Amino acid sequence: MAASGQSWLNQDFTGDDEESDNDFNPGLEVPSDAEADDDEVAKPQASARRAGSPSDDESAADLKTNGKRSASPVKGGKSPPADDDEGEEDEGQGEDDENGDHNDEGDEDEGEDLNGDEDEDEDEEDEEDEDAVTSRPRKRRRRGLNQFFEEEAEVDEDDDDLEAEEDDLGPEFIQDTHPDDDLPPEADQDDRRHRELDRQRQLQQSLDAEQEAAKFRERYGRRTTTALSNSSFVPQNLLMPDVNDPSIWGVRCKAGKERDIVHKLMKKFIESQGSRNPMRICSAFERGDGPMAGYIFVEARRKVDVDDALTNVADVYPRSKMNLVPVKEMPDLLRVTKNKELEVGGYVRIKRGIYQGDLGMIESVETNGLEVTVRLVPRLTYGMDEDHARPGSGDVKRKRPNAFGPVNSFANRPPQRLFNENEARKRHDRFLQQNRGLTGRSWSYKGDLYEDGFLIKDFKLQHLITDSVNPRLDEITKLTKTAADGSELLDLESLAHSLRNTAAEGNYVPGDEVEVYEGEQRGIVGRTEAVTGNIVSIMVTEGELTGQLVEVPVKGLRKRFKEGDNVKIIGGSKYRDEVGMVLRIKDDKVTVLTNNSNEEITVFSKDLREATDAGGSGAGASKFDVQELVQIDPTTAGCVIRADRESVRILDQNGSVTTRIPSQVQKIEARRNAVATDKNGSEIRLGDVVRESGGENKSGTILHIHRGFVFAHNKLGIENSGIWVARCTNVITTAAKGGRITAPSTDLSKMNPALQMKGPDMSMAPPQRPGRDPLQGRFVHINKGTYKGHRAIVKDTTAGEARLELQTKNKTLNISKFDLSIVDNNTQSKTRYEDWIRTRGGPSAMRAGQGVPGSRIPDSGFGGRTPMGVMDGGRTPAWGGASRTPAWSGPGSSGSSGLESGRTPSWKGPSGSQTTYGGGGMTSYGGTGNYSTTGSRTPVWNAGAKTPYGADHGFNSAGNSGFDSFAAGSRTPAYTSSSRTPAWGGPGNAASAPTPAARPYDAPTPGISAPTPSASGRYDDDAYTPYMGAPTPGAGPQDAPTPAASFAKNANKEPLKYNRLGFDAPTPAASAPTPYASGAFDAPTPAAGGPRYADDDEED
Amino acid sequence: MAGRGSRQRACMVCSIVLNASEFYKTGCPNCESVLGLRNSQDAIQECTSQVFEGLVMLGDPKSSWVAKWQRLSDYVPGIYAVKVVGQLPQEIIDTLEDNGMKYIPRDGTSIEDDVAA
Repeated sequence: MAASGQSWLNQDFTGDDEESDNDFNPGLEVPSDAEADDDEVAKPQASARRAGSPSDDESAADLKTNGKRSASPVKGGKSPPADDDEGEEDEGQGEDDENGDHNDEGDEDEGEDLNGDEDEDEDEEDEEDEDAVTSRPRKRRRRGLNQFFEEEAEVDEDDDDLEAEEDDLGPEFIQDTHPDDDLPPEADQDDRRHRELDRQRQLQQSLDAEQEAAKFRERYGRRTTTALSNSSFVPQNLLMPDVNDPSIWGVRCKAGKERDIVHKLMKKFIESQGSRNPMRICSAFERGDGPMAGYIFVEARRKVDVDDALTNVADVYPRSKMNLVPVKEMPDLLRVTKNKELEVGGYVRIKRGIYQGDLGMIESVETNGLEVTVRLVPRLTYGMDEDHARPGSGDVKRKRPNAFGPVNSFANRPPQRLFNENEARKRHDRFLQQNRGLTGRSWSYKGDLYEDGFLIKDFKLQHLITDSVNPRLDEITKLTKTAADGSELLDLESLAHSLRNTAAEGNYVPGDEVEVYEGEQRGIVGRTEAVTGNIVSIMVTEGELTGQLVEVPVKGLRKRFKEGDNVKIIGGSKYRDEVGMVLRIKDDKVTVLTNNSNEEITVFSKDLREATDAGGSGAGASKFDVQELVQIDPTTAGCVIRADRESVRILDQNGSVTTRIPSQVQKIEARRNAVATDKNGSEIRLGDVVRESGGENKSGTILHIHRGFVFAHNKLGIENSGIWVARCTNVITTAAKGGRITAPSTDLSKMNPALQMKGPDMSMAPPQRPGRDPLQGRFVHINKGTYKGHRAIVKDTTAGEARLELQTKNKTLNISKFDLSIVDNNTQSKTRYEDWIRTRGGPSAMRAGQGVPGSRIPDSGFGGRTPMGVMDGGRTPAWGGASRTPAWSGPGSSGSSGLESGRTPSWKGPSGSQTTYGGGGMTSYGGTGNYSTTGSRTPVWNAGAKTPYGADHGFNSAGNSGFDSFAAGSRTPAYTSSSRTPAWGGPGNAASAPTPAARPYDAPTPGISAPTPSASGRYDDDAYTPYMGAPTPGAGPQDAPTPAASFAKNANKEPLKYNRLGFDAPTPAASAPTPYASGAFDAPTPAAGGPRYADDDEED
Repeated sequence: MAGRGSRQRACMVCSIVLNASEFYKTGCPNCESVLGLRNSQDAIQECTSQVFEGLVMLGDPKSSWVAKWQRLSDYVPGIYAVKVVGQLPQEIIDTLEDNGMKYIPRDGTSIEDDVAA
């Protein structure tokens, strides 16, 4: 033992020495670690260790390797080179042998036994064994703590182990630390370590706080990013929920309040965190308004937590049934579908503002996809609505806040119209600015940009509807740019594309023959029985399954056709509604030869349907028909020469052919009674056959007459469907419809406007005097026409017509009043209307009747209020001239009734040709009013004014192109010819004769006596006094026709002056009326003049 | 509550939903180091979106499966959006990737990518 003790001493000494050394090191190191731990509280232990390791000294690193070896003693023992190395040591020489022995034995024995062997063999080893025994618990403790302590701690162990138990290790340790652990320089070595450690500590301490912070921040930051990147590399399908994840409950809530609830829950959650029982839900979410509207979903471990969380939250109904979402369905709840990419050229709708619901085309999309520039058809008022801005400023204020201007309500927003800078200039010049650009058609107006008339505006994505926009053709057309040449830059292909997207799948109807080309039931052929959503039930007609009902999704279905089938194109194809024959079938693409255009078109079979209608009727139906008259622009009309579904081909009045889309042109209501004159002055009407004079000498039947242009159709013509156009004046009548005599100047009396002006003038009469027409409700007898002899009740009347309800038939019809006889309710006696109206009581009738002799002319002169007045005042001379002697002879004999009978021919005259003049009635009345003061010239103007345009032209340009304009009015002959002369001659020559107006003065026949009392009667009744003097002036113009005539001839632009002259000139008889007449002329509008009298009448 | 909806924005990176003013004052609580939204109206305009769907109130990001699924586990509790429409500017995405972060588009495009991955 002594030897052993000695050796122990040695050993002990070294052991102590080393131990103290080792102890010292851990003593130093551990606190430093502790420091580090303190600093890096958040840092996991492992990383703390790792972080600490770089600061350890080399020996520590070496020791670490020892430590590792210590963990695998057997391995270490096995390594012979280690033994060789150990042999170098002075101290361990003996041991080396032992080790060698041990190694030899060690191969055979276990670790513990090994130690035992050592104890027996060597005292030193025994001593060490004791030591080892004592150190063992410590060692174990350290082992346990090992993970927390730094390598230095292991150094200690290693030192112990080195001698105590693990011989292999010891040598290794010695080997590793050999240079340092040599006994003689040990003290120095320790010193060095101390210094080193001190330096490290100082270094560590010297790291200033900022650097450290930066370091931590880096670490912290990296932590987030690593987390991000880590999780991002996990495919989402690995994130699928499992049973360990919290459950999700779906809870009913008030629809539309989902977001609010989520916010409330968040608030509640935050508030509850500090409280005694915090909310224990993991999350809560909503999925907006989709299928999941009206639900919120709460994620929690326990249902109780959900209940707790949702109590006292408004709009949530946790008491209703709560649905536990199955684990499998949880991902579906959070599924995100990508929005359709917005593409330039796509269509959107605006969600709010005055453009709400309007279709817009995407001009550009911001890169982040949140702002979209949209092209719209503007809705502008150009300040027109500011006009009647009420004076109150409060009103203005109230309007201001609205970004869209004063007109904000959806209901009364301005219509869609392209931007017009001229209109904008009118009121808002200061808001208008032209943008310098290449196009020059770009304007800034009130902060918005307008290009080519369109509004270019930025919208936020959330203000746009991008799904299921379903643009309509007319909307798209409105949005389509028009090129400089007027052609539409409409891309039909893209249009079809956009339309196709809108077409639903519901293209199958029961009875379609279909084929399944996809899926399990592929190859089945059958007829559709029913269609439910996207599922089609098919009755199989071929193969094994014949007679069975199979349900197939629409997706894998296509219609089946055979070559030669007559099909109609339906659905979203641009050929929609075409009908044709199937030529080829390839997969689901079918080539069809259309009936209409004989074109071969290829469409999808889903867009086809067996055509039930045999022919192409209705196919490619355009709203226009060939040969129809259409308006292209305000000044241009044309005739349709080809009408397709997508386009209309038009021959316009200038002879050029243009193609327009149907929405660009408007139908013109055909005027069946349009009349014009041809080159020779003959009257031409619809249906007449005309020949082009000069040019190609084309001939044809007149289809339309429109403002001096004739559209004619030649059945043999090929060009333009045989339709051609020419000016009226460039055609010559070859055959008039119905053998009408068209040769000019054959019958002067026909040409005579005075004569032509017949019945319709009745309807041209001025508006009726107020009050109920006495005719209404009367029982009448029809004298003429199809219903001659019928009896009827007058339901309503106009100036010239009565609306009758037949007694015999359940029928109402309009008939001229003058074709009626009034049946007396008591006596059943019939009185002709014209008689009845005269004898009839009632103010208006009275006036008309009584005014006959005396005031008829003034009446006509001053607006010709009464039909009779107009007619007679104007026409009377004509009758004289036209030698209606028989007519006059009649009245001549029958005193007071002379006038009536004198008028009779005129009544009879018109009845024959009433319809002819029906159209222009009202306008010519206006004309009459204007110029009737010139006495008998009135009819001329009347006649000229038969066509509204003719009237205008005739008057304005009588000097320049009188012929033309009158040609339009078709009255030219009457005007230009001298046929009026007799009319003038009439009154002039036979001064004493038939002029009724003149009669009162010149011929004191009973006629004069009649008017007087009636006039006086009127004076009494109606205070017509002012007009008592009026008859005279009426005579005035009649007596002084010359100036009037000159006026007419000169077609003077200042009729007033001439008229005044005319009135200044007249004979004494006329001198009386002058003031009255001039007074009348001061009121230039006859229409106004008329009513004014009426008012006067009543007031007086 | 009602007036709040209009001014709210969602971060396109982490999908957190905040008022525009909050973004301005404090930045995005999760991605401020990369996006730098604080005091930058431009950055807010670029990196956050007013168009988002599906609000998620996230109380416990660590344990929530929703957070895991939405990859929000490492973010602060708060309100997040399920879907954020809009695209980050490319340079921001580049910055993100330089920082070792993988940008997860929140507008619904990522699903296919993940499936593909």
